[in-house]
Amino acid sequence: MLQLRELRKTFFAGTHNEVRALRGVSLQIDDGSFVIVIGTNGSGKSTLLNAVAGSFYVDQGAINIAGTDVTRWPEHRRAAMIGRVFQNPFSGTAPSMTVAENLALAARRGLRRGLGRLLPARIHTELRDRVATLNMQLENRMNNPIGTLSGGQRQALTLLMATWRRPDLLLLDEHTAALDPKSADQIVRLTEQIVSQHRLTTLMVTHSMQQAATLGDRIVMMNQGSVLADYRAAERRHIRAEDLVRRFDEIRRDELLDASAAEMLRAQYL
Amino acid sequence: MTLLLSAWTIGLILSLLSLGVYISYRVFKFADITADGSITFGAAVAASMLTHGVHPVTSSIAAFAAGCAAGLCTGILHTRFRINQLLSGILVMTALYSINLHVMGQSNLPLLSVTTLTTYAQDLGRWLTGHDSATLFGWPVSARDAGSLVLSAAIVFIIALIAWLFFNTNLGSAMRASGDNEQMIRALGVSVENMIVLGLCISNGLVAFAGALLAQYQGFADVQMGIGMIVWGLASVIIGRALTGTDSAGAALTGTIMGSVLFRLIIAVALRWGLNPNDLKLVTAIFVFGALVLPMLMQKVRSHAAAS
Repeated sequence: MLQLRELRKTFFAGTHNEVRALRGVSLQIDDGSFVIVIGTNGSGKSTLLNAVAGSFYVDQGAINIAGTDVTRWPEHRRAAMIGRVFQNPFSGTAPSMTVAENLALAARRGLRRGLGRLLPARIHTELRDRVATLNMQLENRMNNPIGTLSGGQRQALTLLMATWRRPDLLLLDEHTAALDPKSADQIVRLTEQIVSQHRLTTLMVTHSMQQAATLGDRIVMMNQGSVLADYRAAERRHIRAEDLVRRFDEIRRDELLDASAAEMLRAQYL
Repeated sequence: MTLLLSAWTIGLILSLLSLGVYISYRVFKFADITADGSITFGAAVAASMLTHGVHPVTSSIAAFAAGCAAGLCTGILHTRFRINQLLSGILVMTALYSINLHVMGQSNLPLLSVTTLTTYAQDLGRWLTGHDSATLFGWPVSARDAGSLVLSAAIVFIIALIAWLFFNTNLGSAMRASGDNEQMIRALGVSVENMIVLGLCISNGLVAFAGALLAQYQGFADVQMGIGMIVWGLASVIIGRALTGTDSAGAALTGTIMGSVLFRLIIAVALRWGLNPNDLKLVTAIFVFGALVLPMLMQKVRSHAAAS
């Protein structure tokens, strides 16, 4: 479903702030697979998601979604295939517009937007019914500006909006990180439910080893802009949160060793 | 009475300018100074066509189209060439100054001897009152004044209705969402750049249309008539926001029109009380400044009060 070939991206190239965010990432994700991406800060996991979504163009490599090469497609064009939920719960909804308006906008993701009414009479029941599946009593607040809702409620609605029309690919960028623990749990459960119900091909970035160990059917671990480990099938089933944490500690120790070794070499030979 | 009616009429005509500024400033947070040029552009195009014997309705619609073209330029400068919002507007506004002189052929184009919408307004007024003048609450009212007020109210009502309907279509809602949350609407497959270009087109079309009506009402087009008009529009939009307080398209459109009329009335009263007309722009600018900083000051005062 999603094919990434040798993606490379450098920000601020040629300056002191140069960041080689992606250093040749290749991934092949099957239809219906739920992939969790983990990694330290600055490992390039969010950059990877943004590259797929089209927030910027990659310097090298190719992105292929559902058999279509989208490498040079602008973000809004790729949106026809991609559903997205952002880390910031305020990013996924238009605050001054009502709940119903936001949902109706999402119902036309990737479709032509003409002079038909956004909220024709017949759409209201469908909107209410699908909001009711969230079990958050939001169906009674359809005409409230969405900005008056809590972060958790807005994130639940964003998830619903991203999957309103079945996307070829669902991108979740640490979408529970900015929520309180209770809301985060709720969103995790909702994510599981929606992904399994529609059998969505999903790429989810998370900081939580707990989420990584319990969700999804494959774990991709990133470090310094490349894929460090890829756990799937049997390997994935036996992995626990502690194993992932241990692996991260190893990486950190290696990096520390590299740095101190380099320091020592420099002191002795330069 | 004439003064009051004329304040109402000009307030209504300029509410079309305010609706344009509403689109650029409230929907897109884009302080589009093109308006200063496009209101004159609309007046110039309409006046020039009128003096060449073109029908007033055709001339006014052509003014709208001319404004759209000006907005298109600003939009393209900003979105395709990545020029700063304000600078894009300034470039187009400056260019329009020369273009307006070319269109009019002189710096002031009188419309005294040609048929304009005001001619129709006068006929309408005569038909309504039955005479060349009538009395309203004991005051004499000329057919021209009464007709102009009724006609401009009707035009503004129709345009506001169209705008409201538009903002509730799929396209219009996507436009509102583009201003409200760029990231979100992009993720839903809308090109924010195209929305800005389209929005500025419509915005400046309305502004130019207001210019065409104003020229016909006051009986001339002048190359200087656009100076400070964006600030006028901002003042109306800000008053409108204060009057309605909500963000729904219907309330905001109504508020903006009310704001424009109210602001014109305030100005008329102030002039009557002896405000020097030369100070008008200064007072308008100070008013907008006050309206912009007042919410911030209020918040400071409130947080101080909460702290102590």
